[in-house]
Amino acid sequence: MRLPAVEVHNLYFRYDKEYVLEDITATIWDQEYIAIIGPNGGGKSTFVRLLLGLLQPTQGEIFLYNNPPLQARHLVGYLPQNVNFNLEIPLLAREVILQGRLGPKKFRFNAMDYKLLAQVAKELEIDTLLDKKIANLSGGERQRVLLARALITKPKLLILDEPTAAVDINAQKKIYEILKTLKMTKIVISHDINILLEGVDRVFYLNRKLFIHDNIPLKLQNNKGHFCEMELFEELKRRCDG
Amino acid sequence: MGEMLHFFANSFFAAALLSIAIGVVGSLMVINRYNYLAASIAHGSYGGVGMALYFGGSILLGATLFAVALALLLAFMTYRQQRHLDIFIGVLWAVGMSIGIIFTDLTPGYTTDLLSYLFGDILMIPNSDLWFMGVVDLLATLFLSAFYHQLLAIAYDKEFALTRNVPVALLHTLTLFLIALTIVMSIRSIGLILVIALFSIPPYIAERFAKNFWQMVLLSIPIAFSIIASGLIIAYYLDISATAIIIVLAALAFSITFLKGER
Repeated sequence: MRLPAVEVHNLYFRYDKEYVLEDITATIWDQEYIAIIGPNGGGKSTFVRLLLGLLQPTQGEIFLYNNPPLQARHLVGYLPQNVNFNLEIPLLAREVILQGRLGPKKFRFNAMDYKLLAQVAKELEIDTLLDKKIANLSGGERQRVLLARALITKPKLLILDEPTAAVDINAQKKIYEILKTLKMTKIVISHDINILLEGVDRVFYLNRKLFIHDNIPLKLQNNKGHFCEMELFEELKRRCDG
Repeated sequence: MGEMLHFFANSFFAAALLSIAIGVVGSLMVINRYNYLAASIAHGSYGGVGMALYFGGSILLGATLFAVALALLLAFMTYRQQRHLDIFIGVLWAVGMSIGIIFTDLTPGYTTDLLSYLFGDILMIPNSDLWFMGVVDLLATLFLSAFYHQLLAIAYDKEFALTRNVPVALLHTLTLFLIALTIVMSIRSIGLILVIALFSIPPYIAERFAKNFWQMVLLSIPIAFSIIASGLIIAYYLDISATAIIIVLAALAFSITFLKGER
């Protein structure tokens, strides 16, 4: 029997008067790989921030592995959108990754944390970056370090918000190749539709309302075999509105 | 030289204690980008000075209570309300100072120059202030040692720290509380106006050379002490204001580091 990883029931959210999310109901199953796409301002980041308990729903319910979001945070690995990081702090890559092992009452790292650090660094091929300052890494290297920080938590559910924003095409491919190999539930927000859609199980199109599609990659390829973001959005919007 | 050292004994002690605070609290201020918040607490705390003068209480106590109250209010506002925050910070800054000026004006027979609180006088530090500075240094060092990794996680990426259930609100409040105490301990020596510059420049310089945050803290301390001690010596020989020359030296060090970094 399939186990639900994320259950969302009649979710509404608004910052002010206008609703950013309306009547969202969805289930994401354990081990599924979900892409969330949609236009800017469509509520994608708000949706994952609600899943993480960083925002509270205006109405509706969310459960992660049968727990409310705040009680399920230990099950979640998160890579936030790369916009607010303070790069003026002298921090080594290893220190950033180990932040994933922190907790409300955990102030120091132990032998197990360092063992996990070595393990995840090896998996993501960032062993040689560990003693470099985070500010000196390239965009792609930094995102792999942040992915390692999300994975060192040993999550059952991985949530990535634009993991390849401001990253060159080779680094993008590398990150999505890594994602394909990870055995856990994955939710990825991205604009890199062509690369992302190759490996996902389902696509969530979010523009205030949610439209779920099971097999978009095969149906919306153009004659060159590529997905055109605009065409895809238009098609999804049409189906969504319909 | 011996005569000078005797004359400056308390000032050099104050310089050393101030340098430790600059290393620990100044570095936390810089990595959290709290300079504007700290400046608001510094200037606003003058309200406590004015009220202490009017009601005849201890100035140190008045400034401490007022600064801590401002810090708690700002902690709440910065955590809960991100909108119009800069306006709110600016208002607290101005209102605190105005309350101080009004109460000072209302104090009968009060003649002490306002400038002594705005610019400080590191040559006139009493022993009681040294004890206060020592206690604040100890608290700040213990705080940083205990919550080192959590404080860095919050400064680097607050949202991620929240998802790890790190007590972000509590640590944010405690950091501002410590900044308030540090500002009050520095008022008598370097004054309200200059405190932010002196707390920002040594950590800024240290950050350029440090690989991690501990190095930034530990490098800031000798940098701060060199600047303050050099200022004291120059002020003695040229017979000029020590605080002013300390800030000029700090600005000079800042400019050199900044220009070298730009190339």
